[in-house]
Amino acid sequence: MSDQEIIEQLKQGSETAFRKLVESHQRLVVNTCFGLVHNREDAEDIAQDVFIEVYRSIQQFRADSKLSTWLYRIAVNRSLNHIRDNKKHKWFQSFEKDVEARNRQILQVESSPADHPGYEMENKQRAVILQEAINSLPENQKVAFTLNKYEELSYQEISEVMEMSVSSVESLLFRAKKNLQKKLYKCYKKKCM
Amino acid sequence: MKCKAVHSKLIFFLERELPEPEMKAVREHLAACPECALFAEEMRKTLSILETEKVSEVNPYFYTRVKAKLDRQSEIQPSGIRSLVLVRVLQPVAFSIILILGVYGGVKMGATGAKTGSAFTAEQEMVPYLNEMDVEPLETFLME
Repeated sequence: MSDQEIIEQLKQGSETAFRKLVESHQRLVVNTCFGLVHNREDAEDIAQDVFIEVYRSIQQFRADSKLSTWLYRIAVNRSLNHIRDNKKHKWFQSFEKDVEARNRQILQVESSPADHPGYEMENKQRAVILQEAINSLPENQKVAFTLNKYEELSYQEISEVMEMSVSSVESLLFRAKKNLQKKLYKCYKKKCM
Repeated sequence: MKCKAVHSKLIFFLERELPEPEMKAVREHLAACPECALFAEEMRKTLSILETEKVSEVNPYFYTRVKAKLDRQSEIQPSGIRSLVLVRVLQPVAFSIILILGVYGGVKMGATGAKTGSAFTAEQEMVPYLNEMDVEPLETFLME
C-alpha cells in the first residue's frame, strides 16, 4: 500500500490503513524522537502521540509535502516540546555537571558481569557525553544534526522538514558540528571523557 | 598545521568533509602529534556511538499501544472537557464573584461607617463615662 493510498483510506477512517501507517513508519518516528530525547521509553511514548495526532488531523493533510516529511515535522515538534518541559528544572546545570551526574548514575547502575564490562561501560559513558553535547546545541542545530545523523536525511530532505533553504541547513549543520567539537574538546580537557 | 587548527577541523576530517589538501595536512599532523592523535581517536570513538544508538529493532507491541492510547483518549475526552471547563472557566468565575462581593461589602461597610462615624468621635464617647464619675464620687462608691 502506497503512502497516497494509506492517506486516502485513513481519511475514510480505515483502521487497517492506520495499522499499515504505524507499522511502515514506526522506525522513522521512534528514531527521530530518540535522536532528540535520547531515551527509548520517552521516544516510544512521543512516537505514539505522533501517530495519534496524525490519525486525528489526517483530514487537514494536503498532499503538498510527503507523508514522511509531515511525520518528521510532528515528531520533531513533539520531541522539542518534551525536552522543553523537562528542561525547566535543569536551567542552572552546566554541560560538564550534567555529564558528571549522568556518569555517576552509570557507575551506580553498572553491575552486570558482561563479557567486556569495561568496554561496555566506556561506551555508555561515551554515549552520555555525546547525548549531553547534542542536547546542549541550539534547537535548530540539534534538529538538523539529528535528522542528518540518526535518519541520514539529505540536506534537501532536512530543508523540507525544517521549512528552510538548503544553504541554511548547510550552515546549521556546519555550526552544529563546530559546537559539538568544541564541547567534546572541552570535556576531553576536563577529563570527563 | 598547528594543533589549534587541527582541533577546529577534526570533526570534518573524521567525517571526510575536508578538501583533499586539508585532509592530507591533518593526517600528517596527527601522525606527528600524539596529543592530537589521542584526542582524534577519542572523538572518533565518541562519534561512532551515533551508529550504534540508532533504533534498529521494531517494538512488536507498538501498534497495540498506540491503539490502546487512542481508544483511552477517546473515552476520557468528554470528562476531560468537563474538567477543563471546570478548571479554566468555572473556577475563575467563582473566584471573581467572591472577590467582587468582598470589595462591594468592604465599600458598603466603609460607607456606613463614614455616615454614622461623623456624629460620634472618640472624645465624645468618653464624655458620658467621665460625667458618671462626676455624678458618683469615689467616696460614695467606697462607702457602698
